[in-house]
Amino acid sequence: MSSSTQTLYRSYIIEEYHLKEEPYYVPIGDEVELFEAAYHQKIPVLFKGPTGCGKTKFIEYMSYRLGRPLTKILGKTNTRKAPDSDSQSLPLITIACHEDLTASDLVGRYLLEGNNTVWIDGPLSRAVKAGGICYLDEIVEARKDTTVLIHPLTDHRRMLPVEKRGELLEAADGFLLVLSYNPGYQSALKDLKHSTRQRFVAMEFGYPPRDIEAEIVQHESGVDAGTSLQLAKLGEKVRNLREHGLGEGASTRLLIYAGQLITQGIAPRRACQVAINWAVTDDASVQSSIGELISSIFE
Amino acid sequence: MDKPAAGLDEVRQDLGRFPAPVAEEFEKAHPLMKEALNEAQTIAWAESGIEIAEQTVRSWEAAAQFYRTSPKVVGFMPYNYFSKWTECGSDLCKESPTLATAFFDASPGAMSKLRSRHIESWSRLGLSLYKGTWKSSTLSCKFFASSPALLETLTFPELERFVGFLDSLSHRSYDLSSECLTLGQELFPLIGEDRGAFISLASTLVETGWREVKSFFEAGSKALPKIDAGQRLRFLQLAEQLVKNGGTNIPTVMLEISQSMSRLDSDSHASIMTYAEALLEVSPAAVPEFIKGCPLVLDRITMTQLERWYEEGVRILKQNSEGGLAYFKIESSHSEEILEALSSGVEFARVKVVMEMYCRGLAGEQVKLASTEELVSKNIGWVSNESPSTEGSTVFVPLIVDRYPTKDENFAWFKVVSTHQVAHLEFGSFLFEFDEPATLFKNLRGQLEKDKVKPVQTPQELPDVDATSLEQGWVTDMQRFFNLFDDRKLSLDIFTVIEDGRLDARVKLEYPGIKRSYTRIQTDSLGERPEIQSLPAREAMVEFLVRLSLQQYKGIPAPQRYVTEAKKIARIAKRVLRSMATVEDVAEATLRIYAVIAQIPNEEIPPEDWEDLDVGEDEEEYADPEDMEQLLQQLAQGMEMQLRPEGEDEYDSSEEVEYRGDFKPELVQLLTRLRMQPQDQAGEAAGEPITQEMLEELLKNSAELDLQAVEGEIQQTSGQFANNLLKEAGVNLPDSPEFGQGPLVHVDEDGGSLDPTEPQTFVYDEWDFRAEDYKPRWCIVRQKTMAEGDQAYYNTTLHNYGSLVDKVRRQFEMMVPEMFRKVRKLEDGDDIDIDDLIEAIVDMRTGASPSDKFYWRRNKVQRDVAVAFLLDTSASTAEAIDEAKRAPDDWDAPDDPVEYMVWLRTRRGEAMRRSYKRIIDVEKEAIVLIINALESIGDVYGIYGFSGYGRENVEFYTIKELDEAMSDRVKRRIDRVAPLHATRMGPAIRHATSKLERQDARTKLLFLISDGRPQDRGYSREGVEKEYAVHDTRMALEEARRKDIESFCLTVDKNGHDYLKTMCQDIGYEVLDDIYALPERLLYLYRRLTM
Repeated sequence: MSSSTQTLYRSYIIEEYHLKEEPYYVPIGDEVELFEAAYHQKIPVLFKGPTGCGKTKFIEYMSYRLGRPLTKILGKTNTRKAPDSDSQSLPLITIACHEDLTASDLVGRYLLEGNNTVWIDGPLSRAVKAGGICYLDEIVEARKDTTVLIHPLTDHRRMLPVEKRGELLEAADGFLLVLSYNPGYQSALKDLKHSTRQRFVAMEFGYPPRDIEAEIVQHESGVDAGTSLQLAKLGEKVRNLREHGLGEGASTRLLIYAGQLITQGIAPRRACQVAINWAVTDDASVQSSIGELISSIFE
Repeated sequence: MDKPAAGLDEVRQDLGRFPAPVAEEFEKAHPLMKEALNEAQTIAWAESGIEIAEQTVRSWEAAAQFYRTSPKVVGFMPYNYFSKWTECGSDLCKESPTLATAFFDASPGAMSKLRSRHIESWSRLGLSLYKGTWKSSTLSCKFFASSPALLETLTFPELERFVGFLDSLSHRSYDLSSECLTLGQELFPLIGEDRGAFISLASTLVETGWREVKSFFEAGSKALPKIDAGQRLRFLQLAEQLVKNGGTNIPTVMLEISQSMSRLDSDSHASIMTYAEALLEVSPAAVPEFIKGCPLVLDRITMTQLERWYEEGVRILKQNSEGGLAYFKIESSHSEEILEALSSGVEFARVKVVMEMYCRGLAGEQVKLASTEELVSKNIGWVSNESPSTEGSTVFVPLIVDRYPTKDENFAWFKVVSTHQVAHLEFGSFLFEFDEPATLFKNLRGQLEKDKVKPVQTPQELPDVDATSLEQGWVTDMQRFFNLFDDRKLSLDIFTVIEDGRLDARVKLEYPGIKRSYTRIQTDSLGERPEIQSLPAREAMVEFLVRLSLQQYKGIPAPQRYVTEAKKIARIAKRVLRSMATVEDVAEATLRIYAVIAQIPNEEIPPEDWEDLDVGEDEEEYADPEDMEQLLQQLAQGMEMQLRPEGEDEYDSSEEVEYRGDFKPELVQLLTRLRMQPQDQAGEAAGEPITQEMLEELLKNSAELDLQAVEGEIQQTSGQFANNLLKEAGVNLPDSPEFGQGPLVHVDEDGGSLDPTEPQTFVYDEWDFRAEDYKPRWCIVRQKTMAEGDQAYYNTTLHNYGSLVDKVRRQFEMMVPEMFRKVRKLEDGDDIDIDDLIEAIVDMRTGASPSDKFYWRRNKVQRDVAVAFLLDTSASTAEAIDEAKRAPDDWDAPDDPVEYMVWLRTRRGEAMRRSYKRIIDVEKEAIVLIINALESIGDVYGIYGFSGYGRENVEFYTIKELDEAMSDRVKRRIDRVAPLHATRMGPAIRHATSKLERQDARTKLLFLISDGRPQDRGYSREGVEKEYAVHDTRMALEEARRKDIESFCLTVDKNGHDYLKTMCQDIGYEVLDDIYALPERLLYLYRRLTM
């Protein structure tokens, strides 16, 4: 793969992607301790919580934090040495689930290559082998037959059957399965089966309290402390409107977006309008209510 | 057989006696007539002609006409009527041959529209117009000639009335009558259905001003097309009333009115007519002016505001008719002002939805927003319609804000007012706790309470009910605080002013965005304050404090004598007004300020003894003075009262700051406490429940109520307040005082478990949340199939929702693609599946026998959804929708006679703009639409209604069974869905659950559509029992869920959030703000739930 042409992009082999810098995460409660405990006891974890409240950020943070010395295979397109092989994070493999996600998508499949077939591991198999954290995002979106596949991995067996190859993959020590799911969806058809959900310990995520959220917004967007506090206040007020035509309140992510727009010189009211108000709802009267909240909080 | 032939010959002979045309016409007609009539009849016919011709010299012409038209007429009627017709003509001929000629001439045309039995009456009508004169004969002939055209549009009775009108008009002038006849032919087709009214109006006009009749006809033809078709009748009736009331020049007026109406949206015509009709009673003269003014007025204001405009006009009219007329002509400056104010005003109704959500956002609670009128009508101590306020859970704001010339400013005021009221909730005005330490001051409250000498002076100041029990349970922290002061009124005034000031400061700190409008409104309020120098000293000091709280720090006048005191007050106040103070800080500040002010005698200060104070730069920090202890001691002994001089002015509370409104901390705490009572009861018995006597005693002490109590009636008034307060708090009052002391308990229904003995009855358990157990076999559900009504209802509804139906069908059909799933491993299909192909090749290469099934196709996978819709058909669904908005809980309104009157009055007031659609109607429409949609996707569905009375009579109506196919019978059943009795939701849900349970669909749904909380005899009444019903329903839903049935509750009750939160917990629910959105929303939710 080494060639004289310089590649203009960076790509990683899925299980070799490591976070190089510590992700910014402010713990709200005892979630870090809980997760560490679960990880060491190899108990799979289920994250519940509204969108944009920091589930993904948390798992990134944990994978970094739980990182341990591991021989790093260097990136395909990149011949540089890893900068500091001691501060490696756990491999984190994130799979976004969707309706047509099949078992082979997860486990792997044979591909034709020339006259031969080649077995390609799916991301789940890779995670199992590499002993990383496999994070299945929005698991309810996946087909139910697919979700059953993970069952043997999540109990004492810790095995992944690979039917096509006729083998059983034993999970490496560091492997942990983590699911995320948002109970806010009200579809009767999309709920987690009990046989699935009872294989996990569940951690509930909510939006952080005002002070912490302000701190996060300030750090992530670079706005000043005052503005970030106002943004957090707005977030809190908008979330009060859940159940009133707002499916979900304004997420921390949106508050950060608003903050980022403000640092770029957009007027606060306008920034909140586009990043929060219009983003969370299409309902005209809810929009004007949030508009009034914004105009009360920001000058 | 010779005779007939001979007869004909005779006839021919006889005809020879008359001028030739007669015989000629006869010969022409004869062959045709022979075909239509038999021989004898033909002879009779021929002879009648001769009879006619014989009558007078000129009657041969009539006879000729008779023969000529006979063939054309004979076909229209049986022979007996034909001879009747002949007879009529002959009779007419006796009077006047000309008339008869005209009659015969018009007959062919008229007969096609006239019923045979009316022939005689018709000829008589013509005759009635004939008075033997030449002019009358012309009119009559003209009538016959116009008859065919008139009958085109008029029914015969109308024609009779029209002739009656022509006749009476002809007494005045034949020419006019004749002209009206001509005009009528053109006019009637234009007026359509309302000809009767038109003719009646015309007849009235003949009596009052016959000269105008013609112009009335002309005006009518121009005016009517401009009016909305449905309103023409009312328009004509209105015009008639105007005539009867002595109006003049009506045709012109009609023209002008219609001109104005044509400039308006035709939808508004009905309401304008309603106003006009009402106005007629007050002043007929004002009616035309009112309508003529409407286009101009409506350019600037809305229909709802028009009501206010109209009412103001009526008010003026009643005082001064000239002024009222000028008002409606928009020629008075007052009308201009009103218009100006209305057009820039902000209406509560319009901003309610947005502002309510805004308030909820701020407070983070289920705050409701309502108009102050509602609060006042509750009669629980608030009296002002103008003052915004809050009672702890609802924010009350004025119905309309029109203080400023522009809409933006008015809205800003509205927003500031709402924000201020919500601030009471957000920043904890009502969370005051006596024992909670203050943050900025040393706590003196406890000390003072300890030192306070029990007032033993006069017996009437001692509560005569058991004082200890009162103190234990029911004295609120706020009340305990105010009990420290001998001059409650003063302490309350000081407290509210500082607390309001604290909130203002806090809001401005927390919400910089609203700061500008806030400051502006504070400044405006300062401008409205009374002249401080005109007040006696103590009041002046309180006013001084008000100014401070409104952030006036410069040039506040203070009496020279009390400058030191004023500065001291300022120092204390500023401490709370500028920082993150708490309500307890305010209490401490109140205590200190009270100590200063209470001793100042309330005496007039001469104008020269005032000095302007600047307190802004006074940076000296407040510190408690050294003699604080002593001061407290004085307070505790009530010294401040003794220091006051004998003859001082009576102390009056300072004028309310308008945007801050009415703030009653004590009452709100009490009310909140009362509301908590049911919950306390539910848990363990938390102290004695309150009785009306105890509450009255509590209220008697309150300065908040004393302010309003009319002298001498305090006892009675506070009794009434107490009663209403309890009602407001949802506490069940014992009926008679004998039971007053007994604790309130759930009134259990008698008897034990029930047995279903009749067919189609089912028995279910009921959950008793207090016992935390089921009451076994408690309710009997009687299942009935809904009676069948008219099928047209279903079709009409679909038709009325035309565009939505199409849209919904499209949306539901779009769900179909999502139900297509990729099916793999097929021998034939849309495309090759790469995975399967690879597998096949791999197999081939490895020598295994390959599978040739490597195609995939998208196949329809059976959607497997069964859904039961449960429709609340309780009596409350009979509420007309607009009323339902006003009185969401009709259970409590009409009990009390006083309240009932208020309730009735508001109803009447609304009658004018009431819409008669009921909640049930919208529910039915929603059902029709959902059926239509479900048929397109093929889900299994059942529709049931439920109601009932008492636990042994839960009615469960089947509109469509789950496994029943859709049929016309189902359509007919929907028509019969009607409001019945109460709402016992639990058993109905259980019954529906049992039905769904028998279905083996993969997804099962229970959809509950209701209009309010569950209630039934022994299931829920006010107070404690409300909870019972809610808990049972929750348990029923929970049971369904355990059986893998998803539930969803959709309610149109705006107060639904309160109990749905408990009832549904993590079960999906939605509260619809706009009931009209129900059909659309139901469809939307259904799609979302099953996708």
